[in-house]
Amino acid sequence: MSGQGIGRPAGVVLAADAGYPQRLQTAQLPGGSGAQDPFIAVSRGRLGIVAIFFGLAFIVISARLVELTWNDDGTGPRAGRENAARGVVDRASIVDRNGEVLATSLRSASLYANPTRVMDIGEVARKLARVLPDLSRDALVKKLTSDRSFVWLKRNLTSRQQWRVNELGLPGLSFQQEHRRVYPHGPLLAHALGFVDIDNNGIAGIERYFDDELRAPAGDGEPLVMSIDIRVQHVLRNELYNGMKAFRAKGAAGIVLDVHTGEVIAISSLPDFNPNIISASNDNARFNRATLGVYELGSVLKTFTTAMALDAGVVKLSGGYDATKPIKFDRYTIRDDHAKKRWLSVSEIFMYSSNIGSAKMAIDVGEKRQRRFLDRIGLTRKPTLELPEVGTPLVPDPWRRISTLTVSYGHGIAISPLQMTSAAAAMVNGGRMIPATLLKRDPEQVPEGQQVVSPETSKIMRHLLRMVVEKGTGRQANARGYSVGGKTGTAEKPSSNGYRDDAVVASFIADFPSDDPNYLLLVMFDEPQGNTVTHGYAGAGWTAAPVARRVIERIGPILGVQPVVEKQKADDTVLIMTNG
Amino acid sequence: MSDLSLRDGKMPLTQKLLELNWLLVLVLCIVASIGFAMLYSGSNGNLDPWASRQMIRFGVGLGAMFMIALIDIRIWLQFAYPIYIIALVLLASVEFVGTVGMGAQRWVDLGIFQLQPSEVMKIALVLALARYFHARNLEDTHSIRGLLLPVLMVLVPAGLVLKQPDLGTTLLLVMGSAMIFFCAGVRMRVFVVSLAAGLGSIPIGWQFLHEYQKERVLVFLNPESDPLGSGYHIMQSKIAFGSGGVFGKGYMQGTQSHLNFLPEMQTDFIFTMLAEETGLVGGAVLLFLYAVIIAYGMGIGIQSRHHFGRLVALGIISTFSLYVIINIAMVMGLLPVVGIPLPLVSYGGTAMMTLMIGFGLILSVYIHRELVIPKRFSGFD
Repeated sequence: MSGQGIGRPAGVVLAADAGYPQRLQTAQLPGGSGAQDPFIAVSRGRLGIVAIFFGLAFIVISARLVELTWNDDGTGPRAGRENAARGVVDRASIVDRNGEVLATSLRSASLYANPTRVMDIGEVARKLARVLPDLSRDALVKKLTSDRSFVWLKRNLTSRQQWRVNELGLPGLSFQQEHRRVYPHGPLLAHALGFVDIDNNGIAGIERYFDDELRAPAGDGEPLVMSIDIRVQHVLRNELYNGMKAFRAKGAAGIVLDVHTGEVIAISSLPDFNPNIISASNDNARFNRATLGVYELGSVLKTFTTAMALDAGVVKLSGGYDATKPIKFDRYTIRDDHAKKRWLSVSEIFMYSSNIGSAKMAIDVGEKRQRRFLDRIGLTRKPTLELPEVGTPLVPDPWRRISTLTVSYGHGIAISPLQMTSAAAAMVNGGRMIPATLLKRDPEQVPEGQQVVSPETSKIMRHLLRMVVEKGTGRQANARGYSVGGKTGTAEKPSSNGYRDDAVVASFIADFPSDDPNYLLLVMFDEPQGNTVTHGYAGAGWTAAPVARRVIERIGPILGVQPVVEKQKADDTVLIMTNG
Repeated sequence: MSDLSLRDGKMPLTQKLLELNWLLVLVLCIVASIGFAMLYSGSNGNLDPWASRQMIRFGVGLGAMFMIALIDIRIWLQFAYPIYIIALVLLASVEFVGTVGMGAQRWVDLGIFQLQPSEVMKIALVLALARYFHARNLEDTHSIRGLLLPVLMVLVPAGLVLKQPDLGTTLLLVMGSAMIFFCAGVRMRVFVVSLAAGLGSIPIGWQFLHEYQKERVLVFLNPESDPLGSGYHIMQSKIAFGSGGVFGKGYMQGTQSHLNFLPEMQTDFIFTMLAEETGLVGGAVLLFLYAVIIAYGMGIGIQSRHHFGRLVALGIISTFSLYVIINIAMVMGLLPVVGIPLPLVSYGGTAMMTLMIGFGLILSVYIHRELVIPKRFSGFD
């Protein structure tokens, strides 16, 4: 790259830096003839240095050229190619399971100016501000006085606005055809859908997860079909919203899952935002509590402990444990909230949500089997869902002996509502763990799923869940005619020093209809406050359970669940320990 | 090579033509042709409005280059100062009669055509400095007194250009001149001190920058801060590079440029378009061709037996190299956006003429490389 190839031998170049030993002789030499003149030698050497300098500069820009064009993700130019197409190519629509449009692209025009071609800035600003009142004149003047040849003035004008601007006939203004992403249902499914930026790049949610697929070239305009049923979604969000207001909760989350296919029928996180006006929302509103947030959910996890113990055969349904006094373990004391102070049968332990009984079950199962079971039902790993916003659970690490006990009743482990829902579905659907999805699954697409508990255990669990709603802590969830089963969970929130008794996470899982459930519903409130209706209680039985009932009452007909005339349950006697 | 006619310059025209560095001419033509192709693509497969005019300009420039190449280098030595004075007067007159183009006064209307005196000055300054140092010896370049005049010769036009305002050209004039000073043998410490002084004065100079210049520097430091405003060019440019990949999207297939995501693609951002359409491969080929031209220029400078020719060749090829390096570094986001075109490829008439005149001089140096020119040369006998 340097000039050496053509010029004198390279040695001349290096002589330059030898500096000026010849300097004293300079004056004595006759000026201007031949290569002996040190002036010329120095000059040639210096020229070589300049050549090296330019050579280095060329190496730098060549390296940069490689860096910019060589995409390191191994996909080569492809990744960049998609980049370039951004904002130009139409974006596929997203629809719900029934074809209802959830997100679509509308053609729109964006107004930009070439300030160097604008003749009278004041006039242009005045006239534009008149037809586009949300643009201020001062801001326009500022933009138009810039020395760039391209400034956006307003993105996504309506046809009428475009017509009016055209009517002004001002030179220097032009339109760029664009596609604007529109979410007809506003905030209804905000977190799952996500949103796009002004150039239609998916930024969050399914828009981000399937960004490449959605941006597929026009012609292949098949919409993305989600598993969501927007009607169910509406009910879920509506009831969560009402509940959140009534209990002055900080947040809420809800999921409706098809237990046989793993399809998410509805999923909501509150507070939410309007994806059409993303700038108006804050981080708190954009946070997806249903999938990204992880919480200590408390007693709802006893569902797993009980199923695990029954499935492992360490205890029979007819068996029981001594819950007369709290367990002392190391420096911890485990006690019951509504202590019965007697022997409790397994079903009573579940029904009255006994911490002591659950802990003893877990001890009998043993740490090894317990941890393997938690692995199998997906509580120890980040679950799979078609969203970028999926939270990783917090699992005790290292796992101490006390962990076995606390995890049995849902403390010391923080999982997302999504994980809770999927695992609970496996407890009631015959024992198969089917990964959840936000996409509609045809019957043949439904994965087989791993058998995590036996069908018999699953049947017993359905029965136990039903009992909780009939007689236990979940009575307020009893939606008449839908044979609801469920489990409450009221967990004190951890703080820097221990747990807070004034702040709880209240959750309720419900399966219905409980004889052969099709759906699993989760309702969760973050820091609900008691009110006069709940007699001041903020527990799940008073907050999450009644909301679950209202949701089920409303979505049952939509989902085609046949109401049943409920028979009084028969053999309760078998399930309750008679002796105290 | 060392036959007598080469040494005394009494060559017949045919011999001069034979002596012409035809390979260099060929490479220049190839690079210019790449420019035509890109301009043709830039206007979506039309010769209008850019490619055809650029071809005509290059043709005229080529003619001028040959004429200048054949003129005895000593003529340029003889008229170096007068040319410089004329350029200076033109430059000063921009202040009074210059027309405002693109928000800056840079042009003088000479009746028949419009002239950009700062372009003329680029050549004139090289000639004047080369002439000055040609007549000096190493001792002179070591004394403050010996440097006073050439420094003034640089600072006066640089100040005038800065006032237009044209920061890019100013910097190029100063940097190109620094190269000549360097090759003339001015001591290292002078450069070190000047550089330190220059860096030290940045905070002071900052206040004198125009708002848009400040903005460009700030945006350069963080282009993502304003992706729809000043950072727009660079963001879009980088996207274009990434989308070109190794083999490019194909000629005339660049979406960034064809869909107007890249403003000014026919001038300052033409390299981006090239990289988008022909990828890393195309970009590397052009870089290689530029390197060949620069190597030739440097080689010609090294081979020149006379100081004047060496410094002229060096001054011109340095300016050329700086253009190439700064433009490409700029579009790749390594330097702030300064309005500097890519030589021979970017659309633009005056710059093309200046370049071709410059290469004419370099070729003249090559033809007359063996000449012996005394220090006190003042004209032909």
